This record gives sequence, structure tokens and C-alpha cells, in this order.
Amino acid sequence: MRRLLALSLMLVSIFFLEHCRRTEVVSKPTIAVVMKTLNNPFFIDMQEGAEAEAKALGVDLIVQAAEREVDVEKQMQIVENLIQRKVSAICIAPSGSKEIVPAILKANVAKIPVLAIDTRVDRNALAEAGATVLTFIGSDNKDGGRIAGEYIASRLGGKGNVAILEGIPGHETGDARLSGFHEALDRYKEIRIVASQTANWERDQGFNVFRNILQAHPEVRAVFACNDMMALGAVEAISSTRKKNKLIVVGFDAVKDSRAAILNGEMHASIAQHPEEMGRLAVEYAYKAINGQSIPPEIPVRIELITRETLVTK
Amino acid sequence: MVNKDILLHNSRQFGTLIGLMIVTIVFWILSPYFLTVSNVMNIAEQTSINALIAVGMTFVIITAGIDLSVGSIVAVSGVVMAGALQGGLSDALGILVGLLIGVTCGLTNGLLISYGRLPPFIATLGMMSVARGAALFYTEGRPISGFSQGFRFLATGELAGIPAPVILMVVVYVIAHVVLKRTKLGRYTYAIGGNEEAANLSGVNTKMIKTIVYGISGLLSALAAVVLTARLNSAQPIAGMMYELDAIAAVVIGGTSLMGGEGKISGTLIGAFIMGILRNGLNLLGLSSFTQQIIIGSVIILAVLIDMGLRKDRGFTQAKGIIT
Repeated sequence: MRRLLALSLMLVSIFFLEHCRRTEVVSKPTIAVVMKTLNNPFFIDMQEGAEAEAKALGVDLIVQAAEREVDVEKQMQIVENLIQRKVSAICIAPSGSKEIVPAILKANVAKIPVLAIDTRVDRNALAEAGATVLTFIGSDNKDGGRIAGEYIASRLGGKGNVAILEGIPGHETGDARLSGFHEALDRYKEIRIVASQTANWERDQGFNVFRNILQAHPEVRAVFACNDMMALGAVEAISSTRKKNKLIVVGFDAVKDSRAAILNGEMHASIAQHPEEMGRLAVEYAYKAINGQSIPPEIPVRIELITRETLVTK
Repeated sequence: MVNKDILLHNSRQFGTLIGLMIVTIVFWILSPYFLTVSNVMNIAEQTSINALIAVGMTFVIITAGIDLSVGSIVAVSGVVMAGALQGGLSDALGILVGLLIGVTCGLTNGLLISYGRLPPFIATLGMMSVARGAALFYTEGRPISGFSQGFRFLATGELAGIPAPVILMVVVYVIAHVVLKRTKLGRYTYAIGGNEEAANLSGVNTKMIKTIVYGISGLLSALAAVVLTARLNSAQPIAGMMYELDAIAAVVIGGTSLMGGEGKISGTLIGAFIMGILRNGLNLLGLSSFTQQIIIGSVIILAVLIDMGLRKDRGFTQAKGIIT
């Protein structure tokens, strides 16, 4: 008990000292970019784009991410800590489209502008909480899914069985890609989707899940994975079954590994989203917002199909 | 001899406190944003979820057991509660449903360990998978979100500037401290960890006490789920992954021995705060999450090294692992 008293006394005196020490902290603006994870090349590319732009503008940049992509609560903690750090703007790629809203509200209260990148924040949840996001910088994932669907349909000649590897359920990005893909394939009456399961965005899960799908549906002729990590897992699953049939594998994000896989014929296509462009635009528009310039509510980043042909001609 | 023992015991507790002071002072020097009233409240709020789980974990570890299922229990009790709330149950009843789920999982662990004679590691490892699967099954993998203002008050509310989760945490720690120090249940918990056979021979119903202890761990995991769900305004079936490791770390940093028989609830609170302060301070400094993991891991190892060093001084030998 006495020790507790001593501790609190010490804390009080430190607070007092701190109060005396605190002078106006003025420095150049600090822009924070909060990623879902840094274990994914997609976000590394985004980080590099942000760093280049921050250097060009002469602003300080903080890049943070939770240890695990699914850990929304840790991402919320990061935002809370950045608010305490009094950063000038926060650009965030939400781990959960709805779950991040309470954290955004806290930033709003602290008058720190928030920009969403890569993944949209749920509109209804925002409205309900009375929170605001200045803009969304990212690609239309639904369009990407549609492009992937059209590609698979043309490769299959309009008929055959297709499997899907989904992202984390209830996750905006994955859902949009999925619905775009379905929309494209719905127009082909002879294409059937025989399996659609989640592999939680991860490569090893993509491997396991797709192996199981191949066991259950040996007649599958094409697979669409909602990101490249899962697509690469599927590629490994296909080669492990030693069944060298012509399965069409299409991923999403066009990361370095999948570009290599497309060049050597293990994968057939991916959808490129240009994460470095997102990172660059995030810092550019955050800087504009800090300087009081108005910015559009939506900043689209180009999205395109990557195949062997596009890679070779480049 | 007795005097020396008390001295060393106190120095162990004091060591944890000194650890807390050191991290506080280091971050105070490094960051002007660290030691402000609002950031201290921020840290306390962020620490509350892990701190709640760590209370139950302290009880379990004092009996020389381990509970790996806490993170999964957070998920399953959270989503079932969320389902109940959205199904139209009142806030209080919905929370009760969530707590009941947690207690049930915990008691099941306890029964398997006491009466099924399963090692705690195995029983709770099984529960970790079963509860996670149940959470995913119940929700079909999707989060359940959107709750009443009243429910969310548990996370967003404040009393005299103190966030509601912090108040809840303090209340739980006071109760847990009293239970451990002043009740039969508490004394028997220590007795089981010290020497289960001896406790049994002297008439303690060790099986029942152990079952209750795992029930407490389940209950507090469910309570943490209430705070987590209110905080995110959403219950996710994938929530709470690896929370068991954070909780175990808080308990161990707090000076509770994995060999059982000793430990203090106040130590666990300090341990949880050291973890929370590390995460917060490293964020404020803008260090990458990779560096943060290295630092946090090193602190855990250092804490246990000090713990073992002090224990050796006191003539304890240790050959047992946590699995048996």
C-alpha cells in the first residue's frame, strides 16, 4: 500500500515536471499511414509510394501496421496512439470496414483529417456514428472482379467449372471483388461456380483450401483467388497434385511473386491495382487537406488486367 | 531466515514495479506526447482488455496450469452475445448470455482437467480450436456489428474523465485481489499450485477448485469480449487471436511463476500495463511493428530471466515444464 502511495506521488511529480517541460511542439506536418499489415508485398509497395511522396513534399511520415492483418483492435489502438501523437493527418487502410469507425470518430473529435486508402469505410456505419472520412483513394475492386471474370470466361470459351478462393468474409475489398466476378460470370449460362471458400487472404490457407477443392471437384478448370497470396497457394496445390492439366489461375493485386508466376506460366492473370500509386496519392492529398485545400470525395486509382502478354510487351 | 525470505519476496514484486518505472521514464524522455493525462487514460483503456483476461490467467497459472483457449472464448462469447443483442434481447440479458457462454467454456476446460485428468495444455488447446470453430460456425465467418448506445457506453462512456473499461478493470482487480488473498478459494488456489497432492491430503477439494478456476478464466475472457465488442461496435469470429500469449506475458512479467503456487494479482496489473505502455510508446515513437515485436518479446524473456534468477536465490529447484 505504501509502495502504491509512493508510486502515485512519483507519477504526480513527473506530471508536474512534464507540464513545466512542455513547450509548443512546432515542426513540419506529420502524416501517418496505417496499413493492414506489412507482411504483404502489396502494402510494402504502398509504403514505398508514400515514402517517396513524403520526401518530395518534405513532410514527416509515420507508417504503422498491426502485427496481424485481422487484428482490428490493434489497428484501433494504433489510431488512438497517433491521435495522442498529434499527427497532422491519418491515411488508413481499414482492417475492418465497420470496425474502424469508432477509431475514425475519435480522430474526427481530435480534428485530425482521415483519408481511407485501398479499402472503403462502411458508409452506413460512418453515418450512424456521425464520423467522416475526407476521401477514398483506391481502385474499384468490383471492376477488378469483373475484369477477372471476363478473362476467365474468355479463356474457358464460355463453359466449364470454376472455383473461387475468397478473402476474409465480411471484408469490403474481398466482397467487392467477389460480387464483380459473379456479375461477370452470371452472363455465361454454361459456366458453373462449383466451390467458393475462404482462405483468409493467406498463402498457406490458399494451398490447403484449394487442395481440398481439387479433391472434391477434380473437374474444376479455373480458379479465381481474391488476392495473389491465395492464388499462389493454389498454384502450389495444383503442382503438388502432379496433375499437370491446364487449370486457369487468376489472382488479384499483381504482386512481384505472381508476376513471376505469370511469366513462367504457372498463373495466367492477375489484376493490378498500383499500390505505390495509392501510397503516393494518400500522402499528396493528406498534405492538401492539412493545408486546407478541398479534395474530391473519391480518388480512383487505375486498375488493369496483367497477363503474360502485357508483361512481355512492357 | 524468515526475514530474508520476506525481503527477497518483496524485491521480486519491487522488480516488476521498477520495470514499470523504467519503461515509463524511457518513453517520457523520448516522446513529449507520452506522459499526458489523455495518453495515460488512452493506455489504461487499451490495456483493459488484456488486463481482464490476465486476471483469470493469473488464477490458472497459480494452480500451475495454463489456459490457451482465452482468445477463442473471447470470440465465441462475443459473437453469441452480439447475436443475442441483435436478436432483440436487452443489453443486460445479452451480456449475461455472453458471460454464460464464457463460463461454460471455462468450466468445460476445468472438468476435462480435473475429472478427465487431461493436462491443462491439451484440454485448453482443444477448447481453443473448438471455441474458434464454434464462433466461425455461428457467424458463418462474418462479423456482427451495430449495437445500442447503451451497450456501447461500456467502451465509450466516461466517469469523471475515466473511461468505462478502466473503471471495470479496476473493480475486477480489487475483487480478484480480495478473492485471492482473503478467501478460501484463493488460499486453495495457491495450495494447489504449491503442492496439489498435499492440498488434496489436507482435505481441499482440488478438483472442484481447479474447475472453478478455469470457470473464472472463461468468465473474464467473456467480460473482455463485452468490452472488445462495445469498443469496435462489432463482434468478429476471428477476434482475440493470440490474446492468450499477451495474457500469459502479462502474468509472467507480473512475477507469477509458471511453476505455480505463487503470484500476485497486483503484479499482473503491472505486467499488463508494461505491455500496454510498450505498445503505446513504440507507436508514439513511430517504430515499425516488426521492431515492436522484437522489443516486446525481449522484455518478456528478460522478465522471466529475472524471475528465475531471484527464484534460484531462494533455493527453489525447477525441473517441471508447464505442460505437465
